[in-house]
Amino acid sequence: MSAAATGVAASPVVYNEAVVRKFVIATMFWAIVAFLVGVVIATELCWPNVSFGLSFLNFGRLRPVHTSAAIFAFGGNALFATSLYVVQRTCRARLFGGDALANFLFWGYNFFIVMAALSYVLGYSRSQEYAEPEWHVTAFLVIVWVLYALVFVGTLLKRQEPHIYVANWFYLAFILTVAVLVLGNNAEVPVSFYQAKSYSLYSGVQSAMIQWWYGHNAVGFFLTAAFLGMMYYFIPKQANRPIYSYRLSIVHFWTLIFLYMWAGPHHLHWTSLPDWTQTLGMAFSVMLWMPSWGGMINGLMTLSGAWDKLRTDPALRFSVTAVGFYGMSTFEGPVMSVREVNALSHYTDWTIGHVHSGALGWVAFVSFGAIYYLVPNLWKRSGVYSTKLIAWHYWIATLGIVLYITSMWVAGIMQGLMWRAYDQFGFLQYSFIESVAAVHPYYVIRLAGGLLFLTGGLLMVYNLIMTVRSSSTEQVTAAVPSGIAVAEA
Amino acid sequence: MSDVVVGLLVTVLGLVGLFMASGARDDEIYIFGLSLAGFAVLFVFGLIRGHFDRLDAARLDAARRGEP
Repeated sequence: MSAAATGVAASPVVYNEAVVRKFVIATMFWAIVAFLVGVVIATELCWPNVSFGLSFLNFGRLRPVHTSAAIFAFGGNALFATSLYVVQRTCRARLFGGDALANFLFWGYNFFIVMAALSYVLGYSRSQEYAEPEWHVTAFLVIVWVLYALVFVGTLLKRQEPHIYVANWFYLAFILTVAVLVLGNNAEVPVSFYQAKSYSLYSGVQSAMIQWWYGHNAVGFFLTAAFLGMMYYFIPKQANRPIYSYRLSIVHFWTLIFLYMWAGPHHLHWTSLPDWTQTLGMAFSVMLWMPSWGGMINGLMTLSGAWDKLRTDPALRFSVTAVGFYGMSTFEGPVMSVREVNALSHYTDWTIGHVHSGALGWVAFVSFGAIYYLVPNLWKRSGVYSTKLIAWHYWIATLGIVLYITSMWVAGIMQGLMWRAYDQFGFLQYSFIESVAAVHPYYVIRLAGGLLFLTGGLLMVYNLIMTVRSSSTEQVTAAVPSGIAVAEA
Repeated sequence: MSDVVVGLLVTVLGLVGLFMASGARDDEIYIFGLSLAGFAVLFVFGLIRGHFDRLDAARLDAARRGEP
């Protein structure tokens, strides 16, 4: 079947790197947009008048812009870039479907993002978290996503390697599951072909359960499984070491995929959802701790014998710290899913802190590590323009995350305690507005953390632009076709 | 071949966008429909440009190698 298996000399493969470069540029563009809008809405939470009374700048409209820009625009473009890069190299095959189809993936996906963001600021939303786009925007996304699956699976099928590398398993699970989730959660009947509004097929508690089946699996498959695919390719590449245990990576894959599907109901503790369903969600969430930490250990132990590289390679430091944050947030998540803990944490800023330890510490950091690796490779440069700037980026961003999550932990636990406090007569001890006033200082600290993270992102953009443009990172001409080079590496 | 298939798909999407904009009953569908049509036009122009760029590149390459 494969050249490697039959012993026939491998033919050179020219990969489609142009589309990967476009996705990398879009990743960094949307990263800055996401961080900037995050800073704006964090400012609005400190000083609400910052929206200047303009409807399209109010928190309710900008919040989904921030979450969608962070998850689907920044994260999504990073996943498109890395998955299309990884699948070509590990399969030693150019992308299936031709360049026009690959280009459509890029422009189509980014058109979806712009249309979704525009609809939010205009005030159109399904009001379901992470599933805000109205039916017509979602329908367009489904077309793009089906074609993405076609390109990815087609490339796997025409591979010249006998084995499908584990990173591709994670990417494939992400692509297939997101398709199922979006179709399931968006089952709805539009009022008219000419109107944005639609009626969901679900109502009441079923609607809530389907939403959080979707919502938690968006976290599980979009923000976790897919980025684990990134981890399993780029950390071994950056460290120049094989994965610590390939067997563990397969166990990690199947257990994670099986368990995540059932964890959604933990978002609906203490609601009208049946108790047994809540317990089911809690039990599977606690079980998820094991595969998550198995994966974390596998990622970290890949550095066995190469730990010294962390001193000299700050890009690798990003990737490894990301795995640390992955371990931390996948420990915190199961703890928060326990019903008694959730009674305190739910609806408070603790949840916001938890989400950001995953989004900034895991998703953003592992993407930064991958992009610092990718840019010199894709633009054929000798290396990144300034290693010192990467180190500055690393420390500024890390400090930003620490400020962000610690302030949200304190604010969240304080809110939870204030809301449940009773006085000697059985009345609530605090009014809601008192809890809002109490968290104000922590909101300011969170804003400072966000500003630091944005500053780090701007440093990264400057560093990458200089990497591509500066004469100090002179062009390296490949001596052999890249396909053979990779096969021999 | 890929160009033709993708070009046709995007053309159909662009026409759908025009239909949506033509009968739109709210701003969102009007803006989305027109944007989709605009996206389709630009994308198909990009495909056409890419086609002729490749022809030019092949012609230049042949000329550099001294072929007729």
